[in-house]
Amino acid sequence: MKAAGEGSGLHGRNGRRLVIGLPYFWLALFFLVPFAIVLKVSFSEAMLGNPPFAPLLQTDADGMTALHLNIDNFLLMFDDSLYYGALLNSLQVAAIATVLCLLLGFPMAYGIARAAPRWRLPLLMLIILPFWTSFLIRVYAWIGILKPNGLLNEWLMGIGLIDQPLAILHTPVAVYIGIVYSYLPFMILPLYATLVRLDLTLLEAAADLGARPFTSFLRVTLPLAKPGIIAGCLLVFVPATGEFVIPDLLGGPNALMIGKVLWTEFFNNADWPVASAMAVLLLVLLVGPVVWLQRSQWDDADSDGERS
Amino acid sequence: MAPKTPPWQDPDAIPLVRIDGVTRHFGDVYAVDDVSLDIYPGELFSLLGPSGCGKSTLLRLLAGFERPDAGRLFIDGVDVTDIPPYARPVNMMFQSYALFPHMSVEQNIAFGLKQDRMARAAIRDRVGEMLTLLKIEQLARRKPDQLSGGQRQRVALARSLAKHPKLLLLDEPLGALDRKLREHTQFELVNLQEQIGTTFVMVTHDQEEAMTMSSRMAVMEAGRIQQIGTPTSVYEYPANRYCAEFIGAANLIEARVIEHADGMVTLKPADWDGELVMAQETPLVAGTQVTVALRPEKVRIGTPPDGAGGRVRGRIEDIAYLGDISIYHVRVPDGPRIQVTQTNLVPRAEQPLTWGDEIDLWWTHRGGVVLLS
Repeated sequence: MKAAGEGSGLHGRNGRRLVIGLPYFWLALFFLVPFAIVLKVSFSEAMLGNPPFAPLLQTDADGMTALHLNIDNFLLMFDDSLYYGALLNSLQVAAIATVLCLLLGFPMAYGIARAAPRWRLPLLMLIILPFWTSFLIRVYAWIGILKPNGLLNEWLMGIGLIDQPLAILHTPVAVYIGIVYSYLPFMILPLYATLVRLDLTLLEAAADLGARPFTSFLRVTLPLAKPGIIAGCLLVFVPATGEFVIPDLLGGPNALMIGKVLWTEFFNNADWPVASAMAVLLLVLLVGPVVWLQRSQWDDADSDGERS
Repeated sequence: MAPKTPPWQDPDAIPLVRIDGVTRHFGDVYAVDDVSLDIYPGELFSLLGPSGCGKSTLLRLLAGFERPDAGRLFIDGVDVTDIPPYARPVNMMFQSYALFPHMSVEQNIAFGLKQDRMARAAIRDRVGEMLTLLKIEQLARRKPDQLSGGQRQRVALARSLAKHPKLLLLDEPLGALDRKLREHTQFELVNLQEQIGTTFVMVTHDQEEAMTMSSRMAVMEAGRIQQIGTPTSVYEYPANRYCAEFIGAANLIEARVIEHADGMVTLKPADWDGELVMAQETPLVAGTQVTVALRPEKVRIGTPPDGAGGRVRGRIEDIAYLGDISIYHVRVPDGPRIQVTQTNLVPRAEQPLTWGDEIDLWWTHRGGVVLLS
C-alpha cells in the first residue's frame, strides 16, 4: 500500500485525499455546520424579530464588542418539569420500545436466518416491504386500526371477546404499538445479518459437550449475536427517543415526548433558543451511550479481523 | 511378552460401539447403507474413504447429530439411538475445530465440564490437567483467533477430551494442518491415545494417515463398508478391486482359473501367454474370471527363478524418479501397463535400466492377491 502510494507520486496522493476527503466534506457541510448553528442559537436569547433570537456578538453603545453566552435555555431544561419530564418520558418510551423490538425481532430474525436459503430473501422482503409506503400513511393507517370504531375493536367485538371498544388510540399503548411497528425492521435487519453468519457447527459443538438447546442459545448464540443486538438497539433507541410523528398522531395529549415539545417550541412558541438547547441536550445524552456501544462493537470487530 | 489376542479376534470381547444395520439417507442418496460394525475399547478405529462415501455421516450418527432411518447404535451396551447428542457419553473433535470464538482457551475447555455442574475447583483442576496434557498451558487465556492452526487443533482436542468421554470422535483431525505438522501430529495423537486409553473413532480420506494411526480401519464407498481390518490385512489382502486400488497402488491383472489344488490356484492371464500360480486358500472353480492385485513393490525386475508365481516380459515406457524409489511403467505387448517400484540402492546415473529397455518381471506365489470382485 505504502510503496504503491509513493510510486504513484503527488497526483495519486492528492487523488486519494480527494476521495477520502469528500465524505468528510459532506459530513462537515450537512452535519457539523447545521449543528454549529443550532449550538449557537441555543446560547442566544430569545427575542421578537426575524430571526427570533439575539446575536451572540453584540456591540454596545461604547463600540465594545462582547460575547453574550446565555445558558438560561439549558438551565430551563432542568428547571421546568415540562422539559425534563418530556425528556425522561422520551428516554423511557424509547427504552421500553427498544426492548419490545428486541423481544419481537430476535425470534423473527432467528427464524429467517434458520429458514431454508431460498426462503430467506422473500422473508426479508416482507420485512422491508412496508418501507415502500410513506411512513406517515402507515402511521395514519394505525389510527384506522386502533380507533374506537376501528378495525381492531370491531374485530374483537365481532368475535365476542369484548362488548365495549377498547380505548387504545391516544394512549401510551398506541405510541408503543406505533414505535415498535415502525422500527422493528431496523432491529431485525442487523440481527439477521449476524445470526445468518453464525457457524452452526458451534451449536453442534455445544450440544456435543453436553449443553441443552437453551443453554447453547444462552452461551453461544446470544453472545455471538451481540454486535447485531447492539446495532439493532441503537438503530431503534436513538430515533425513537426523538420521535415526533408517532406520539403526535397516536399518543394522548398528556404524554409529552421531547420531539413534540421541541416542535411546539419551534413552531408554536417561536422560541428557537430553547428548542435548540433541547436539541443539543438530547444529542449529548444520546452520543454518550452510542459512543460507548460503538466502541465495544469495534473491540469485537478487531478480534474478528485478526482471525483468518 | 506373549502376543495378546486382539479383541476383534476374541469371541468373548465386548465391543464398546456396536453399529447394527444402520441406514441414513438424504432423499434418494444413501449416505450410510445398512452398516454394521463393532469397535472395541482402546481401539483407534479409522473410517476411510473418498469424500461423499458416508464416513462423516456415520461419525455424526455416533455423535447424535443425525438419526438413523433404520438400525440401532449401542455405546457401552446402551442403546443410544434415541439419545440426543448432549446426553451421550461421546465427544467429538470437529474438522473445523468449532472453538467458541468468544471464549478463551480455558473457557472453551471448561465448557463441557460446566454443563455437568462440576464444582468450580474441580473444573479448574481438570482444565489445568488438559492444558498440561496437550502442552498448551501458556495459551490458557488466549482467544481462538489468537492461535495458530496447530494450536487450535490442540485446544479442540483438549476440549473434547476434558469430559473423559468413553468414545472420542475425530472428524479429519489433521485435515487442516500442513503436511509437515500433520506427520508430526499423527504420532502425537497415537501416543496420546495410548497414554489415556480412550477409544478413538477417526474419519479420514487420507489412506496414509489411516495406515499409520489405526488399530483397524473400515474402507467405505457409497455408504457401504467394503472391508474392515488392520492396516496390514487391508493392504496385503484387499477384499476387492476397490480396496486394492484405494489403499496404495495396485496392478490389476485379469485372469481365468484353470485349476485349484493344495492351496494354489493356477490362472491364465487374459493378456499374455503363460500361467500364474498364486497362493489361494479358498477353492476356486475352473473357468472363474478373477482379478489378481499385484502391489508394485512386490514385482521384481530380473530373470525369474524357477517356481516364480508369475512372470511377464515388457518394455519400459516411463520411469518416475522419486529420490528414495523409482517407479517403472512397463508395457506388456498388447497388454496392461505394470507399475514396478524399486528402491534406489545405487545413484540414478549408475542404474542400468532406461526407457525402451525390454525387461523381465516376476513375482512370488504370495506377491499378489486373487480377487473375485
